[in-house]
Amino acid sequence: MSRVKKNWSASLLLLSLTLILAITGCSGAGNNSKSPENKEAKASNTTGTATNKGAEDNGQPVSGGELTFALAGAPDTLDPHRNGWATGARVFRVIYDNLVVLDSDNTVKPWLATEWTVSPDGKSYTFKLRNDVKFHDGTPLNAEAIKYNYDRAINPETKAITARSLLKYYESAEVIDEYTVKLNLTTPSQAFLRNLTQPQVGIISPTAAEKYGDQYGHNPVGTGPFKFVKWEENVGVTLERNDEYAWGPELVANHGKPYLDRLVFKVVPEEATRIGSVQSGQLLAADTVPPQNIAALKNDKKTHIYQVNTEGLPFTLFINQSNAPWNELKARQALQLAIDVEKIVKTLYLGTYDQAWSSLTPGTFGYDASLENGIKPDVDKANQLLDELGWVKGSDGIRVKDGKRLAIRYVEGSPNREKRQDIASIVQQQLKQIGIEVNINITKDIKVVVFENDDYDVYGNGQMNPDPEGLRTFYHSKTQNVAGKHNLGSIVNENIDKFLDEGLVETDPVKRAEFYKQAQQEISKQAIIIPIYVFPYTVAASSKVVDLKFDTLGYPLFNDLYLKP
Amino acid sequence: MSGKETVLAKTVWKYDEKPPISRQRLLGRMSVPNLLIYGAGSIILFIIICGIVPGFIAPYSPTDMAYDIMAAPSFAHPFGTDYYGRDVFSVVVHGSRDSLFIGVASVLFGGLVGGLLGALAGYVGGVVDTFIMRCIEVLMTIPGILLALAIAAALGPSLFNIVLAVSLSAVPGYARVLRSQILSIKGRPFITAARSIGTPGWLIFVRHVLPNSWSPLLVMATIGLGTSILVGSGLSFLGLGIIKEIPDWGTLLSQGRGYLTVAWWISTFPGLAITLLVLSVNLMGDRLRDKIDPKQKRA
Repeated sequence: MSRVKKNWSASLLLLSLTLILAITGCSGAGNNSKSPENKEAKASNTTGTATNKGAEDNGQPVSGGELTFALAGAPDTLDPHRNGWATGARVFRVIYDNLVVLDSDNTVKPWLATEWTVSPDGKSYTFKLRNDVKFHDGTPLNAEAIKYNYDRAINPETKAITARSLLKYYESAEVIDEYTVKLNLTTPSQAFLRNLTQPQVGIISPTAAEKYGDQYGHNPVGTGPFKFVKWEENVGVTLERNDEYAWGPELVANHGKPYLDRLVFKVVPEEATRIGSVQSGQLLAADTVPPQNIAALKNDKKTHIYQVNTEGLPFTLFINQSNAPWNELKARQALQLAIDVEKIVKTLYLGTYDQAWSSLTPGTFGYDASLENGIKPDVDKANQLLDELGWVKGSDGIRVKDGKRLAIRYVEGSPNREKRQDIASIVQQQLKQIGIEVNINITKDIKVVVFENDDYDVYGNGQMNPDPEGLRTFYHSKTQNVAGKHNLGSIVNENIDKFLDEGLVETDPVKRAEFYKQAQQEISKQAIIIPIYVFPYTVAASSKVVDLKFDTLGYPLFNDLYLKP
Repeated sequence: MSGKETVLAKTVWKYDEKPPISRQRLLGRMSVPNLLIYGAGSIILFIIICGIVPGFIAPYSPTDMAYDIMAAPSFAHPFGTDYYGRDVFSVVVHGSRDSLFIGVASVLFGGLVGGLLGALAGYVGGVVDTFIMRCIEVLMTIPGILLALAIAAALGPSLFNIVLAVSLSAVPGYARVLRSQILSIKGRPFITAARSIGTPGWLIFVRHVLPNSWSPLLVMATIGLGTSILVGSGLSFLGLGIIKEIPDWGTLLSQGRGYLTVAWWISTFPGLAITLLVLSVNLMGDRLRDKIDPKQKRA
């Protein structure tokens, strides 16, 4: 009797505790925000452009203040050459500068280099450098430093991944004079210049790199608008203004030192906490906003939503053709017709993500817009195609042929990044309609399951990339990154190989774009992939934050940003 | 003789004015704790029915993604719809099967293994006892939930692994209780008596020792059921559960968490289901203990 009572009251206590927690969690420090005059600020949200303007500012930029910016994931390293995750690059993008910058109109503009020339054979680039640039530790930027950087990035001992693939065709550098450097390539590459704009090939201080060795990732020194102060593991990274900065690229309006005193990145993996702390005014900005929160934040006068579609390859389902029956065009076409991508994207992202139609995202050089709305879901036709191949529906609705069930091993990673696991769940239901059983394998170890064991029929992937040359990693038959045998889709297609090879060396931009358009058309026609969504980088910021900008790959830029007093 | 007494008593009652059960006792049956037990019993019964024949109770198919996305609870969808456009009530009803299965299977498995080890240690004694109990003690130094987490994380997500993880963390408790019970029974005079007339050891164990010592295990198992369901849901919540077309309650709770601010019903109802089931099972377990434990018997 007494035990019953005790238990009952204990659970009541627990229940009330949970309630209290929930209530305090929601309202959390709401009275912290002291911005009554911000009511008139309009929440504007521009999508798809690299120059998002924040609130309507009718005054001059104000210097000073500290911006707190919550990141969904912890940075892996602040050593650009060793970086593999975008979340690290978002932090060190502001510590380092590059030789050249990719402007919002997709052309390459000067940055640390003032001008450059290309040799007639396309195999060497000569850069003239600015002569007034100093690293944060006082080291002057010169041709020797550039040579040191690229040599370091391709040195196997550095264990670079992204940087090395960006510098794939880089062979060596020659120091012509103090401020002139010549870069030699193994093969002419039209992607090379664009690749040099990426944060992973940012220029680091040779002095610091030598001094810190393997610990450089925790002691970064660049030439960028912000200087490194400290990095607390799983808490955040603190940066401060570089007062000597005077070499901002054309991409931003303010070429001098930034307005902010300090820039503090905080790591807040929990979605609700991250967004809640912006709503309550504890932090000024947070990235990776879940779609279901975007509408509410847009309507909130105290916050804006910034959304930038990223360039490169959209999130795409690859069909592994090394397993029957997916080597047959009709079987793949059945998948293409049965998977209702529009419904997936509308359901899960509530209209905040764009549907992808091609193997490249809109805005990427060479994107073929004619593929848009090209495929309409048609379950009857998909059924018919599978009937033609001799797969007959069994008693449980799943098709069978020669005693073999028509099943798909669909591999997806954990955690549920960008709701990709939910995509798998919907695909599972949609393919059931045409008699295909989908067995979803959620794993933390994608590298082993997909790339080592080749144990999948469908696997989704995407990549931010400044140049369509990024297609090579996924579609060229010479890429054999799955078990050393084939590419993700096990694609061997002479036409695609040819288009990609010619696109790499073609110097005329119009002709070059044409090669990539043809490649995209061939990929779509052969039903090699199912493109799903274009990933937008999203940031929710307080309306006090003005002029947060982004580059074409969605990395935030803080040069022009200032805080309303 | 006793038969005569009964007859006598009956005749006495027959001619007595007083009813066989006093009003006070009748009220006593309807007291708050009793009502709670009836409530708990019906909840458990309902959830068990849900687990066995979910199709009869759920109004829609749990995999049908055909309704409005994130619609609030209404007459048509009493628990609302989720982010796929599924009916949350139907999903919860179908999800009860895995949640119940994890609870019951891990209690059975844990009780069986723990009981076996405890019985062996207690009855055989000597080196066997020392060895088994040292191992059990090692297992006990690791907190239960931590052990379950470690096992589930190491073996990977599957229904069997979850059951294994949850039940292994409960094994030490069962083993120790049964061992101590057997030790106390083993020394009783009736066991000595049985031995003195030449009954073989195994027969004494089966006939006399086991029947007299396993009732505490039953109580433990009932209370452990609640814990097992909770730990199982906890593992699923942390992403170590099974990913299936129809997820169990812990997974549902976890998946709906991100939508709490816009569609609270997606994770609230599976959470409520877990709370109700565990609370009911615990109430039942407590009552069972009161009934069995002589020291706590009421006057």
